[in-house]
Amino acid sequence: MSVKIAKIEYYLPETIVTNDDLEKIFPDWSSDKIEKKIGIRERHIVKNNETALDLALKAGEKVLKNYNKNKINFLMLCTQSPEYYLPSGACILQDKLDLKTNIGAFDYNLGCSGFIYGLALAKGLIISNIATNILLITSETYTKHIYPKDKGNRTIFGDAAAATVIEKSEEEQIGEFVLGTDGNGYRNLIVPNGGLRNKYDPDAKEIDDGSGSIRTDNNLYMNGPEIFNFTIKAVPKVVSETLKKNNTTLDEIDYVIFHQSNKYMNEYLRKKINIPKDKFCENLLVKGNTVSNTIPIAIKDSFDNNFIKKNYRVLLVGFGVGYSWGGTIITI
Amino acid sequence: MEKMKIKDFISELKENLEVEDEDQEITLETNLKDLEEYDSLSVLSIIAMIDKNFGKQIPSSGFVKVTTVSSLMDLIGKEYFQ
Repeated sequence: MSVKIAKIEYYLPETIVTNDDLEKIFPDWSSDKIEKKIGIRERHIVKNNETALDLALKAGEKVLKNYNKNKINFLMLCTQSPEYYLPSGACILQDKLDLKTNIGAFDYNLGCSGFIYGLALAKGLIISNIATNILLITSETYTKHIYPKDKGNRTIFGDAAAATVIEKSEEEQIGEFVLGTDGNGYRNLIVPNGGLRNKYDPDAKEIDDGSGSIRTDNNLYMNGPEIFNFTIKAVPKVVSETLKKNNTTLDEIDYVIFHQSNKYMNEYLRKKINIPKDKFCENLLVKGNTVSNTIPIAIKDSFDNNFIKKNYRVLLVGFGVGYSWGGTIITI
Repeated sequence: MEKMKIKDFISELKENLEVEDEDQEITLETNLKDLEEYDSLSVLSIIAMIDKNFGKQIPSSGFVKVTTVSSLMDLIGKEYFQ
């Protein structure tokens, strides 16, 4: 039995924050410097009353516009911005998207590796005959976790949702997977408060990271240098292992899509791994880092812009919060 | 292990921190945090530079203590320099 990605659509919230907007809030930030170094000019952010589930619904409706929704027999939602502790957002989405009730649905909590894990799960569910047509929705609103005075994270992250349909196919279009986890780094990308270990603290103190970004423990914390150290170690390895597991080499790969973390980091990894520039996706400029959405959005954008075409073999690599990482090769 | 000349290290550091002013002199005693160009992204540049030249990752906690170029070299390890 074989599996393929049948369709991808995505949705970006309407509000746009530009580098010029950020420069007004943080006068020591240079709009041009941000764009040059991290490759981001604009990011979309949700409104106060808009949630990841709202974005997920919009993306889901978009992908089901031209797809028979009665075919969908499994729904997965990947988010770290849940609507409630319980129930699962996927259960609410089943109803809102008007999907059948005799389907499986669940949420899973992963960030930048989330799309790769979703593909791996979807492939497993189809091959084991549990499902045939799967709707995988990634939806993230990190901006809700970010403290208003957190210059660094407000610069990097944007909100988005992507909806991908994975289905049974004649030819194998989703290759072998390499997955990895190292929870030793969990503190380096975290929202410390608000769960059941450390409850939300209305009196949480401001913490200055010494480089102009301020947050509290109720908010997203990212130790950028430590995340960079992790990617330097993990990403070249996951690339070589994914190629090996798929019995191929970088030369035989037509295009490479990494999680769009930031331009500086991705460019460094590209050079370190020796991936030619013209084969390497850079898709940060007007969306920023949208966590689990960057890879499906990049696949769709690369296809729409003719960077990838039918029958291309594309290496996908996700890495980040957890730490968690994964790679696979898809055929378009 | 190939040792790096201090002169080359400083010149690469200058390049990586994007110090564009030709007259801006950087010595072992220069406090990096006093440089106009030094910001949160500079640490990423330094991490990349250390990985590229020495194949080594420095824990982020180490960078908190870095002040001068010389203290950065101590953090990397004096044995890497000649």
